[in-house]
Amino acid sequence: MKVLQDWKIHLGALIIVVICEMIGTRKVQMGPGVLLFLPMLYAMILGGIISWPRLKLISLKEMNVATTVLTLTTFMLVAKLGVIIGPSLAKVAQSGLALSMQELGHFFGTVILGLPLALLLGLGRESIGATFSIDREPNIAIIAEKYGLDSPEGRGVMSVYICGTLFGAVWVGLLAGYLAALNIFHPYALAMGAGVGSGSMMAAASGAIKAVFPEYGTDILMYAGASNLLTTIIGIYFCLFVSLPITEKLYNILSPIIGRGARKTEGGNVNEVD
Amino acid sequence: MKWTETVLVFIVTGIITVIGNTIGYHHPLSEAAIGYLMLLAVVLLGMAISKYVPLKLPMVFWISLLALLSTSAISPWAKTISYYTGKLDFTAICTPILAYAGLAAGKDLAMFKQMSWRIVVVALAVYTGTFVLATVVAQVMLRIEGLI
Repeated sequence: MKVLQDWKIHLGALIIVVICEMIGTRKVQMGPGVLLFLPMLYAMILGGIISWPRLKLISLKEMNVATTVLTLTTFMLVAKLGVIIGPSLAKVAQSGLALSMQELGHFFGTVILGLPLALLLGLGRESIGATFSIDREPNIAIIAEKYGLDSPEGRGVMSVYICGTLFGAVWVGLLAGYLAALNIFHPYALAMGAGVGSGSMMAAASGAIKAVFPEYGTDILMYAGASNLLTTIIGIYFCLFVSLPITEKLYNILSPIIGRGARKTEGGNVNEVD
Repeated sequence: MKWTETVLVFIVTGIITVIGNTIGYHHPLSEAAIGYLMLLAVVLLGMAISKYVPLKLPMVFWISLLALLSTSAISPWAKTISYYTGKLDFTAICTPILAYAGLAAGKDLAMFKQMSWRIVVVALAVYTGTFVLATVVAQVMLRIEGLI
């Protein structure tokens, strides 16, 4: 059996999980909030260190196996969230309006903050691919089909995808825990926000929110799960028909004002910012 | 991937998940294992449906739908499924997933090194923007509707 041939990677995962669960959740006070370190965050970091190419502990083939396993196990997460939502369907339906409206926050939040920043940093058309969505697998397919992955837009989407794979969960997890501990937002609102449309980021975020508000545990997972499901499924269509055209239009409007184009007309050297 | 191969992967990761679940959350191993097998049944059924039903919908849609129905009011086994899957902590399922994500990270490192720091900053802004803006909208909407 192929799976058993790759025993090294599974043994590695088992050892990581045992170590991380034994350490448990840790909190570090930082300013007015708290940095929350969950076992899953150490697991990601420990795994990353073990797979560091220079250490030569695991081969490229084994890393590809890990990716396949990762895709499959994410389905377990989806099923777990489903069985949590099931008994409270009525409650989810009751907040249907809030759930639908906050999806607009998910879809436009990437562009609103990301695009102006990308332009200010001097990025070109990469910024369209980079900021039109959260840039997970279905979004890559959209860019690949429209521009090809060798285009600047394609490089943009792939770069953000890789950042997401490498440290998206750690970042969103820490951010969610910190925001939750500030006590500005209700746990339900944070939970909905956590449904960003990526399994691992959503897991890290809702895990952190749940650790801050343990008394709302089930409701947090319920709202986060419902929101993540909406983001994933509607997102495919929304990103294709709405987000991408809008991002491109905004790029054309903003680029001459704050992007490279602006610097050009001022007589600045464009190459300097590359 | 063949079905036997898929099931084997789930059994191996299941063992890891249930062990982590016992260490971290002190649920009885056997009950969590039953919960895992129930979730596995839902996942496999969902995968089968998305493979054989000609409707073009993502796999997560079918898995979510089945999982949702299995514990909703219309399911005769809702209580049992909720009980056993409840013994498998959500975060315990996440830890092995992120362990594998970490173990796969090495292959992206070469490409990451070639990337400009600017795009890394943009990536962080993209994740921050989507999370924070959705949270703000949700907060406002839940307030308006009087749900919080």
